[in-house]
Amino acid sequence: MSDLVMPKFGLTMTEGLLTEWHVAPGAAFRAGDMLFTVETEKVANEIEAEADGTLAEILVQAGDTVPVGTPVARLAGGVAAPPPMAAAPAETASGKDTLDSPAARKLMAEHGLAREAVDATGRDGRVMKEDVLRLIATPLARRLAEAGGVDLSRVEGSGPRGRIKARDVEAAAQAVPAPPPAPSPALPEVTEIVPDATRRATAARVSAAKRDIPHFYLTHEADMVALARLRAELNAEGHGQKISVTHMLIRALGLALEEMPQMNRIWAGDRILAFGRADIGMVAETPDGLRIPVVRDAGGTSLDAVAAQAGALAERARTGRLTPADVGDGVISISNVGMFGVSSLTPIINPPNAMILGVGAERSLFRPDADGAPALRRELTLTLACDHRIIDGADAARFLSAVVALLETPLRLLRPARKPA
Amino acid sequence: MAETRYIKAVNQALKDAMRDDPTVFLIGEDIGAAGGSFKATRDLLDLYGPERVYDAPIAEAAITGIAVGAALTGMKPVAEIMFMDFITLSMDMLVNQAAKARSMFGGQGSVPMVLRTPHGGGLNAGPQHSQCLEAWLAHVPGLKVVVPSNPADAYSLLRAAIDDPDPVIVVENKALYAMKGEMPDTPERIEIGKARIARPGRDATVVAYGAAVGMAEAAAEVMAAEGVEVEVIDLRSVQPWDEACVLESLSRTHNLVVVHEAVEAFGVGAEIAARMADIGFDELDGPIVRVGAPFAPSPFGKTLEEAYRPNADRIVAALRRTLA
Repeated sequence: MSDLVMPKFGLTMTEGLLTEWHVAPGAAFRAGDMLFTVETEKVANEIEAEADGTLAEILVQAGDTVPVGTPVARLAGGVAAPPPMAAAPAETASGKDTLDSPAARKLMAEHGLAREAVDATGRDGRVMKEDVLRLIATPLARRLAEAGGVDLSRVEGSGPRGRIKARDVEAAAQAVPAPPPAPSPALPEVTEIVPDATRRATAARVSAAKRDIPHFYLTHEADMVALARLRAELNAEGHGQKISVTHMLIRALGLALEEMPQMNRIWAGDRILAFGRADIGMVAETPDGLRIPVVRDAGGTSLDAVAAQAGALAERARTGRLTPADVGDGVISISNVGMFGVSSLTPIINPPNAMILGVGAERSLFRPDADGAPALRRELTLTLACDHRIIDGADAARFLSAVVALLETPLRLLRPARKPA
Repeated sequence: MAETRYIKAVNQALKDAMRDDPTVFLIGEDIGAAGGSFKATRDLLDLYGPERVYDAPIAEAAITGIAVGAALTGMKPVAEIMFMDFITLSMDMLVNQAAKARSMFGGQGSVPMVLRTPHGGGLNAGPQHSQCLEAWLAHVPGLKVVVPSNPADAYSLLRAAIDDPDPVIVVENKALYAMKGEMPDTPERIEIGKARIARPGRDATVVAYGAAVGMAEAAAEVMAAEGVEVEVIDLRSVQPWDEACVLESLSRTHNLVVVHEAVEAFGVGAEIAARMADIGFDELDGPIVRVGAPFAPSPFGKTLEEAYRPNADRIVAALRRTLA
């Protein structure tokens, strides 16, 4: 028995959508046969069998998106097609070899190196890429390292292509002598946990987003009294999907985008993509971590239809059954943490979105009325994060004000969008 | 100590050598009545007469052949080939006769001749009057090749060449003929095969000869402004060349650039780089970088020739590469 795993195409791929199985469970296949199709952001890839075998059991159904390295099927007799990632679940029967990093195995194969001849430095005796790579150091650096007892594999090269030069060895030699301080008895206990593929994928994605997107933030309070009253009346009718504040926010964003189409755009590196429809993502907690299902055409459809769509998406997200069609596209997502009592949220944009709206909890408070007397209000804090590559501050402010105006005159949520002037 | 020019230093060396040794005589095209195309032999016909200053026809093979024969019979001829480009016509005499005589006669004979010839560009003289062909001669066992970089060396190396019992090619640089420099009252005696540290430094070594020495010194000046101390070695002699001096310098600086005006490919720089990559391997802290002319004939046009000839900027770029 061996596993067939989700392969990795390209450096940035963290998960893949298995779109189709070409072999049925129990069926035999021959080397070269198409086993399944994987779709990434860029392309669809056909996965071929590397050897003859039989598909014993399908673990990931067509339509599911799983992290790279996840077993997608069990094979009987055959050899798994693509090599698993270094940190893929290691249930394989063939043992040690498959634990080596794929880059290391490729290098060993290219240079005809026997695995036994390589000193493995990875966890559990894995051969890592660095173990096979030729160390690039100048002759003088090598001589100095040998004389000074410096381990070149631990020295970072500052020369071209990372070449280790004499100055690097000298710096390393100076850094070495300090003996490790005696461990403090008061150190708290720390457990090292290897993050799973989902966590690592999330970490990579949000790091890239926060690093690459020049965020700026706008905050606006919205008075919710009228909206709460309308919502209560609508829900009192009690037919169809119950309407939540989030649904009304989605509808408001949809209308605002319809009325300000210049905001319905994203930055795509070398060009700008303008959308003709207002799709609104909603950040949802799922068993597989955070996902962002998308309500389609929130500006062109009715509030009831938005609520129905959003309700169905939330249900599928909760049960981990989101389909690829449920996610992707849109210029804005909404992240509502109001249910935790948090007053506001400053969120990170989810690429390729250009905006994200952080929503806090509704709060009751007094504001001075026209006569300066305290008036009880219910307010919501909205924080809009924008991608400054495509959105300027004034436009963003107009957009957020428009959203707030829609929320404060909520009957407009029941009407079609006003055509932009 | 008096200031002189390169060409005058050559003239002085010939004059002094002829004064000191009656077996020294000159032969070449236009060297007598005209005093030489570049005036290296000015006034010498008047001083020493037509028996010691022969105007030859335009026949480089004959000029060289006469010199080899005269040298074999005990004379000390100094032949002039007007442009190094025409040394092609002297090659049989030099390579098959002058270079071989000592070995073929079991050490009982020698060819104490000198062949003076100018190489190099910068005068817009075109592809047939600008070449630097010293590597051809340095490749032949039995020939010595010196390339002076300044007036004082032009004097001393020519005197050393005339005194040498074996054939020596003295390669002068046309662009340096007008160069001014100090001439010591008692000129230095230079041993052929010994280099000179033209500028001491600790961070990188530039090996050069002839006109490239000045370019290397200018490059060192640029680097010094950035705190990089470049050592410049003037080889003086490319065959034999001072391997020990270069190795000693490399052992201090650990980075090496080799510069010459000649085409880079298959040149003197290749030999020096190869030797240092071998005997100096453990001293290297960067690639050995060569600077030379591109693999193309020297162009006529002024701007093209400027782009073709090595210069201080290219040496600076090479230094930055090896020091990266």
